[in-house]
Amino acid sequence: MAAWVTEHVIPHERPVRIWLARHASQEDVDDLIQESYSRLAALDSVDHIDRADAYFFSIARNLLVRRLRRSKIVPIEAIAEIDAFQDDMRPSPEREAGSRLEYRRILALIDGLPERRRRIVRMRKLDGYSQREIAKELGVTESIVENEVFRGVQAVLRAWREGETQAEQKLAVIDDRKRQS
Amino acid sequence: MKQQTAYDIDEVAARYVAEMDGEQWTSAQEDGLQRWLARDPRHPGALLRAQAAWMALDIPRPSANVQTEQEKPALWLNRRTVLAGGSTAIAASIAGGIMLLGGTGYSTSVGEIRRVPLADGSIVVINTASAIDVKLRDAARNISIERGEAWFQVAKDQQRPFIVAAGRARIRAVGTAFSVRRHSSKTEVMVTEGIVEIWANGAEGQRIQLKAGSRGFIADDAAMQQVPVAPSAIDRTLAWRNGKIDLSGARLDAAAAEFNRYNQRIVVIADPAIAVEQLDGVFRTDDPEGFAQSVHVTLGVPVDLSNSAQIRIGEPGQ
Repeated sequence: MAAWVTEHVIPHERPVRIWLARHASQEDVDDLIQESYSRLAALDSVDHIDRADAYFFSIARNLLVRRLRRSKIVPIEAIAEIDAFQDDMRPSPEREAGSRLEYRRILALIDGLPERRRRIVRMRKLDGYSQREIAKELGVTESIVENEVFRGVQAVLRAWREGETQAEQKLAVIDDRKRQS
Repeated sequence: MKQQTAYDIDEVAARYVAEMDGEQWTSAQEDGLQRWLARDPRHPGALLRAQAAWMALDIPRPSANVQTEQEKPALWLNRRTVLAGGSTAIAASIAGGIMLLGGTGYSTSVGEIRRVPLADGSIVVINTASAIDVKLRDAARNISIERGEAWFQVAKDQQRPFIVAAGRARIRAVGTAFSVRRHSSKTEVMVTEGIVEIWANGAEGQRIQLKAGSRGFIADDAAMQQVPVAPSAIDRTLAWRNGKIDLSGARLDAAAAEFNRYNQRIVVIADPAIAVEQLDGVFRTDDPEGFAQSVHVTLGVPVDLSNSAQIRIGEPGQ
């Protein structure tokens, strides 16, 4: 499941986040994204899912609509419009490039880690050492290695978040230009 | 509960992923994880996403050294990954073509037992000092045992047969559970659930169906043999999945050989006369000392623990 998510959902998380952010606060977007992944986690199998991106988007959209209905702040017509929104998730060159970009960014991310963390992540992921073997090799305790792994996971999660913020800023710039012209 | 931000949740999820990635994952930790997952609707998603994050780093580097990566596929040693309602997968194909060619290799060192959930929902438990290769494709799921032993719980998928290769031996399952151990000149198959089909590569015309509760051997010369065994005997033989060695009337020399599969410190039966003595008991795979003590007490033979490289049981010529 996690492998499927890494391959098919993560590359599309950002556009979904950006879309959600038009209708919800940043905090709500974070919650909605986590809850959307929870829905995926509850699936027994992903075999029946043909288009992961569209599937994920519709989960997130449904959760958003539910939340907006409950909040009773957003007018019903606006909710109906959101509910009816169909994202154009057809594969496009941009999307393809988008998923490859993730990949290059991951590599850059490993390189950007502090010395010891980078070394440990590399040994673990590229050389196939276990945490215990790394600890022995580097002469540190296993909990130090585990902690660096923890920081490594956090670094990826943070990068996914920050990437999204950057993309959002770019989008905002484009919107401004449109408004000005 | 609402004051907990998505960021806080991510942090806990990342911590769990790091712990699961390590060598020690206790049932207490598992319980803690399950309680945490149930506590908030965002938690399972955060865990899944953190697992995906850690897995994203598995992608081999697309540079001049792609070739070397292919020759020596990265070992993914994810210890144990658990999600509400099911298992989590290890990527076989994140990077697309490159990894599809090579498959994913997993190996264990002496004494290590590793549980690996596969992308199709199947679970592999890899025994000590073993190496396997996993290729999950649209047409078939191919597993190769390079050395050692593994037990498989196969997720049902009529479209994609699950085929294990070990030496010349081939074992095919649709939805079942069985173990395969590669010996020096033969392969041993034990079925714990359902039915599997076994044959030798190059002799596809001759196939044997093995039912739950039976044991089969496929020799390198393609000879096959089926031996019925009691279910309890199969459970005992597969006790390694829980890190245990279950001796039930096993001969002392066979018991010693079993411990030696899991430990650097080897057990030596110094007195051939006691090798045929029989023993009962359940031991941890990493506790040959406990085994030796128990032999000392039950058989009343001397045990020498002074050498850190070996444990000598009995003295020759006594």
